[in-house]
Amino acid sequence: MRISVNNQPFEVSGNKTLIEELRAAGIEVPSLCYAGGHEHHASCMVCMVKDVRTGQMLPSCSTMPRDGMEIETDSPEVKELRRMSIELLLSDHRADCEAPCTLVCPKGIDAAQVIWYYDNGMKAEAKALLDGRDCRDCARTPCMKACRRGTVDNSVDIKGIIDNLAADDSIPTANAVSMADTGKETFNSRIGRFTDMEKSLMRQQYTQHSHCLHCACNGRDKCRLRRLSTEAGIKATRYGVSSELPFKQETQVKGRLWFDPAKCIRCGLCVYNTTDGFTFRYRGYRMQVIIPDESRDNVTEEIVQLCPTGALYISKEK
Amino acid sequence: MACEDCNIHSPEDARQATVRRTDAIIDRIGRERRHIIPLLQALQDEFSYLPSEALERVYERTEIDRAQMISVATFYAQFRMIPYGRHTIKVCCGTACHVKGANTVYDAFKRELGIGDDTITTADREYSIEKIACLGCCALAPVVQIDNKIYGHVQPGRVDAVLEEFERDSAEQQKAAIERANRQPLGEVRFGMENCCQASGTAQIKEAVEQACRELGIDVDIKPVSCVGACNQVPLIDVAMPDGSITRYPNIRPDQVKEILLHHFRPASALRRLRNALLNQVDNFHTDQTWDNILYLSEKQRTQSINTFLDGQKRISTEGYGLMNPLDIDEYIRRGGFDALKKVLKTDRSEVINEVLASGIRGRGGGGFPSGRKWSLVAGQPDTVRYVICNGDEGDPGAFMDRILLESYPLRVIEGLVIAAYAVGAQNGILYIRAEYPQAVIRVRRALEMCRQKGLIGENVLGSGFSIGISLFEGAGAFVCGEETALIASIEGKRGFPHLRPPYPAEKGLFGHPTLINNVETLSQIPFIIRNGARAYASVGTEGSKGTKVFALAGKVRHGGLIEVPMGTTLRDIVEKIGGGVEKGEQLKAVQTGGPSGGCIPASLCDTPVDFDALNRMGAIMGSGGLVVLSESDCMVDVARYFLNFISGESCGKCTFCRVGARRMLDLLDKITAGKAEMADIDRLEELALSVKKAALCGLGKTAPNPVLSTLQHFRHEYEEHVNGICRTGSCKQMVKLTVTDDCIGCTKCARCCPADAIPFEPYKIHTIDTEKCTLCGLCIDECDFNAIKYENKRKQPAV
Repeated sequence: MRISVNNQPFEVSGNKTLIEELRAAGIEVPSLCYAGGHEHHASCMVCMVKDVRTGQMLPSCSTMPRDGMEIETDSPEVKELRRMSIELLLSDHRADCEAPCTLVCPKGIDAAQVIWYYDNGMKAEAKALLDGRDCRDCARTPCMKACRRGTVDNSVDIKGIIDNLAADDSIPTANAVSMADTGKETFNSRIGRFTDMEKSLMRQQYTQHSHCLHCACNGRDKCRLRRLSTEAGIKATRYGVSSELPFKQETQVKGRLWFDPAKCIRCGLCVYNTTDGFTFRYRGYRMQVIIPDESRDNVTEEIVQLCPTGALYISKEK
Repeated sequence: MACEDCNIHSPEDARQATVRRTDAIIDRIGRERRHIIPLLQALQDEFSYLPSEALERVYERTEIDRAQMISVATFYAQFRMIPYGRHTIKVCCGTACHVKGANTVYDAFKRELGIGDDTITTADREYSIEKIACLGCCALAPVVQIDNKIYGHVQPGRVDAVLEEFERDSAEQQKAAIERANRQPLGEVRFGMENCCQASGTAQIKEAVEQACRELGIDVDIKPVSCVGACNQVPLIDVAMPDGSITRYPNIRPDQVKEILLHHFRPASALRRLRNALLNQVDNFHTDQTWDNILYLSEKQRTQSINTFLDGQKRISTEGYGLMNPLDIDEYIRRGGFDALKKVLKTDRSEVINEVLASGIRGRGGGGFPSGRKWSLVAGQPDTVRYVICNGDEGDPGAFMDRILLESYPLRVIEGLVIAAYAVGAQNGILYIRAEYPQAVIRVRRALEMCRQKGLIGENVLGSGFSIGISLFEGAGAFVCGEETALIASIEGKRGFPHLRPPYPAEKGLFGHPTLINNVETLSQIPFIIRNGARAYASVGTEGSKGTKVFALAGKVRHGGLIEVPMGTTLRDIVEKIGGGVEKGEQLKAVQTGGPSGGCIPASLCDTPVDFDALNRMGAIMGSGGLVVLSESDCMVDVARYFLNFISGESCGKCTFCRVGARRMLDLLDKITAGKAEMADIDRLEELALSVKKAALCGLGKTAPNPVLSTLQHFRHEYEEHVNGICRTGSCKQMVKLTVTDDCIGCTKCARCCPADAIPFEPYKIHTIDTEKCTLCGLCIDECDFNAIKYENKRKQPAV
């Protein structure tokens, strides 16, 4: 079967979807809700291509080529609409890719990760991550000014914790990893403002050790939404962020698998690929993905690979 | 249920009783995954909500699991997880009701019943209240349904009277039917008994006729008939005499019935006649209600508006309006019903399809795809297991064509469906009707039974060897299920998620088999085409759109109702000639067509002959045929916001552009109607609307921006005015306040009616309104006899 792609003749077998054919030929097509070999139903529309004859935008992940079809994959129109779909998803995505404290640190310390190790009793790793740096000569403490906890009540004493760690010579050395990507070009999602309700909830929920909210996303290293946003050069969504997603309501699904609904883009991959596991609730803008308590056992950790965002993640906890 | 429950003491007993009742329902409905919607409907009928014990039992005993249950039960608006009060008040928020103040009516009921902001049920659990998308009684807006009773023209200040009437009626219960044995009827009294007629009080008129007949000893046939379509002139009765003459009485009151009957019929005995004459004298003496008795009006005065309403119409789908009893199958057959079916059963399938092709009929559901082509696509599939579906999931607010066709002409729709099934070689047919139309469901169900008895459906139809099983599926409340792939998903027991076409349902539809889906109105035109031939049908209409189109005319029009006109009639003719013009003598501003997928056509374009292509060119669509007339007192930005609000609630949520995009459009419109927007927001809105139109997955999403785009195209200046802080009509409540003008004489009527105590009680002084307390409900405007209360813009400070 012969079609044309970007005005070039293009040979297809006729039994694979457009995205499969295009990618096999090395033509880049971004996507979020598509997972080869798994059940998927067009949702994100990021993979769209234009059918030149009808003027229609088609999700290439679910469209079978038809003889003589003329496809456009890289026109400004297609790129703009892809970008818009990502921006729309981001406007309903309550997440901080990186914690603000890490982003603003003039010394490049992954403060969020240090505090996380600290809160989980892993002082050796925390100190290792400092790599000899400390905050003693930092008077402005931008990290503590940026701290999300500061908008709830009082910021986390980041400087105090780090300086204590740095000064404590009894802490052994260990291996530590940072997921932080603070590159200027890398996209960073923003949580937005907390409601009063959320604030009071967080005051009750985060009472241990540093009081840190751990706002950095736990699944950012695998997040395709972040990667595509970076590639599209998005800095912020033009629609702002307003969402009805339950914020900071992470639940342990099973074993090390966790679910954070605030980051879910409702693509449904986890719904379609579990049996009596994840499910949709409500419809339209209010639609959520949930995991009923009774159904947790029907899910395996592998499902994390299908999730295109940090909504499903494997916890780093010991 | 009470009998079984009244001796229950322990919670365990109660649980067991629930389980028993659930089991009975499961045994009756079935255990497969596809049975979930009928199963949940039956459970909700039984328990008034979906109790968790019942659902747990469903998981134990059926193939339905928790994931499917949550997914489906929360998708459809019909299902609820919390018990409601004893009675449910449904406030219609359709387009026509919206422009006539449905929100104020809703607030008024909540106030009257003392229901707080965060709840929907009264403390004594007597009433629950909810807003619903559209009851399809648009000519009587605003409309409210309490349990199964419908009330039209509900005024916010009169909700107490509605509740009173409802309570009186439910206390009285039903009266015994009148004695009908050994009689020779003197004539016939005919009523429309559709939702809208009932809403206007036809039931009371019917009762009054029955009572009067009993008292007077007049023996007449009292006959419910199909909708006349003059829904604005109801209650309406026709008196038919044995000589064939028919006298029509529109807008009658129960107290006028006796007089009308006496005018036409002689009471049984001289004694009774005398007694009546005396009693009537006394009645007239004590009440002055008969002074404007309609009998004193000339025939012309009496029915003029109706006759102009009915002139200019052409009847194909609604043939036999006002004459036929919807459920009298013998009468339908006498009038040529099922002749078309008999004819096709003797004809080759391909010839039937050719006839439909030749007629040029296009699908009435919205898209306007040629029906004949759809039929031949299905007929040409290699898979021989095929389905036909009648799409009666008319969810557009402001539309009620399908409801009236199903309520008034169920047999014609069934005939069309059977013909379609024969032509495409289907063995199974499904009538998909939305649950919000209980009357239609009841009638179609009865009509199906009759057809079965007559051998018109079922095995070996009329001895032809052709067999067709037809069942009825009740839609569970999702606008998106009007989209054919979503409709199929819901019959299969899934969320109403549309899927990408191709494959089209004609290739791979219900349960993976070729499926023909036609709209109610399309099917109701089929018998005419077969009976009179394609040429006769094609002679009506325009070049690209053949036949007639049924429209639901509502909104700010003097005579709303169901109309059927040849394609190519202009909107102005429809509004001015048939509808009698805009009500209250206001200027026509626009006509909204096609519901949430359609657009607003400005008055300046209303002289264009209406057909599929002309409407598309004007940025609207034919849709299923709702026509909501908008006057100078309607705000176009508010209308656009209304539809976007509807769409973002009805979007299925599957694709980004509809789920999030529609919501962001609504956010921007909220900002504009609150007077907080800047000019750039209008461009942002337009950019987003154009993108959603291009990139949404299904027809619902792709057409969702139409109300915005068409109002931007024709009424951009209104958007700009809103940005500048002006809403001329006072519709955008956040931008206006109520003020009292110098015309006020201090009569205190407004102060007494104000539910928010915002007007101090100060007799003989010009009243004042405390804008802090005022909820802008507008009751005082209606109450004021001096037209002294007005909306005024809270003008923004000019931008620096």
